[in-house]
Amino acid sequence: MIVLDKVDKVFPGSTIPAVNQISFQIDEGNICVFVGPSGCGKTTILRMINRLVEPTGGEIYIKGKKVSDKEVNPDELRREIGYVIQQIGLMPHRTVEQNVALVPRLLKWPEEKISLRVKELLETVGLDAEEVSRKYPYQLSGGMMQRVGVARALAADPPIMLMDEPFGAVDPIVRGRLQDEFLRLQKALKKTICFVTHDINEAIKMGDHIVIMNKGELVQHGTPMEILCNPANYFVKDLIGTDREIKLLELTKSEELVTRTKNIPEQIIEKDSFILAIDPVQRALEIMMKKNSDLVGVRDGAEMIGTISWEDIKKHINMISGDN
Amino acid sequence: MDFEMDRFMIALLDRSPPHALEHLQLVLIPVVVAFIIAFTAAVLLTRERYVKYTDRVMTVFNIGQTIPPLAVIAVFFPFLGLGREPALFALTIYALLPIARNTLAGLKGVPGDVKDAARGMGMTEWEMLFKVEIPLSMPVVMAGIKISVVLTSGTAALGALVGGGGMGAVIFAGIDFFRAELIVAGTLIIGVIAITLDRLLTLIDDMLTPPHMKA
Repeated sequence: MIVLDKVDKVFPGSTIPAVNQISFQIDEGNICVFVGPSGCGKTTILRMINRLVEPTGGEIYIKGKKVSDKEVNPDELRREIGYVIQQIGLMPHRTVEQNVALVPRLLKWPEEKISLRVKELLETVGLDAEEVSRKYPYQLSGGMMQRVGVARALAADPPIMLMDEPFGAVDPIVRGRLQDEFLRLQKALKKTICFVTHDINEAIKMGDHIVIMNKGELVQHGTPMEILCNPANYFVKDLIGTDREIKLLELTKSEELVTRTKNIPEQIIEKDSFILAIDPVQRALEIMMKKNSDLVGVRDGAEMIGTISWEDIKKHINMISGDN
Repeated sequence: MDFEMDRFMIALLDRSPPHALEHLQLVLIPVVVAFIIAFTAAVLLTRERYVKYTDRVMTVFNIGQTIPPLAVIAVFFPFLGLGREPALFALTIYALLPIARNTLAGLKGVPGDVKDAARGMGMTEWEMLFKVEIPLSMPVVMAGIKISVVLTSGTAALGALVGGGGMGAVIFAGIDFFRAELIVAGTLIIGVIAITLDRLLTLIDDMLTPPHMKA
């Protein structure tokens, strides 16, 4: 869907490339997260995809078409790519309705279609269209503004979305909620998303694919699981932090570790220490600590399918983290 | 100098009105012309291609305001002679700076994230200018126009010295003939013109700008 081929960017007046010979591809319908410290070039890559920044070398392809092609008008290209930034950049002199309708109006959609679309979008991102349509951005909370920002980017139904730390400016509780809602939304929308963050936890949570960058270089890329299991070097290990095993357990579904049995011990049923098959294994640990036991039951819906023991989890960690 | 009420009323109601109309023209024409020039210049100077000329152009506008209008007329006297035109010309030069400076400040003050988002959404340069930059800088631009209008209202009185007419004719007649009534009437009407124009512009500003965006 999006392919970068040996892309370089050297900003004028600088000798060190901001982005150095980066190649990879993003598959359709995936969330690809770029993560790394400030100045690692992640935002520059994002801005090269919609040509807000022109690469100094290499090529970028979207659906097999060169974006730097002479026939491609950068303004028209951008109208087909959703764009969300941390500062949101809502037009302060326009109402929420006008902000969301921005791209459809640029594309000269009929007014009727626009007003239906705006209503639908505001509901999609969890806002009350009736209530917020006529408000100005300054009348909204940070979380609401960010929702409007996402709605605006989705307005013309672009197949690709570029999101530069979209949830970076809101408090952790709202951020978590926005992330969850966005993932739920993405399940239905299936957009191809490039997502920039400096927060590795956000990267692991949001990414189908993670690209780790440092000083303009691509350090490692792969699924969150691959990166957690086999960090390429100390930089990646450092970035992941000391709780690598816990993060792994967050990514592992309980059904992967369950020992299937029909004989669920009496004490589990008595204490009601059950988790769901789709819960992360980390949830099993929580229940073990809370109920003070080494064993939890696993349910798939109402049906009891087996158990997970403390030993199972230890074995699993040692196996995938490669320390043993 | 003594002051008689009925002389004052004659000065105010009979002598002044035709001059007031002239005066209004001496204010409005220069401000409109200055607005067109200064606004265009400021818009160009905030485009990437022309940013490097900003200092030079602003210096010219600055000089335009430091030279007294009478001196401007003196300099251009050989080409324009005396009368209404040189007065209009001098006042136009005088009115440029506040508008240019405020337009420049207004355009530069448009938040970078809003411009970035607008460009990222796919606005063309023209759409950016007309839908984002100009509307967002409007309150500051309007403030500049108001300064210019008030400034020109006062300065236009000097127009009479070169035969340009306006309320200056009444005031200077008062000075020449020791008639306080004429001076007061002339000054009063200039004040009314300045305040009325200022209020009118404020009304326009109110219509153009949502309440929370006021400068």
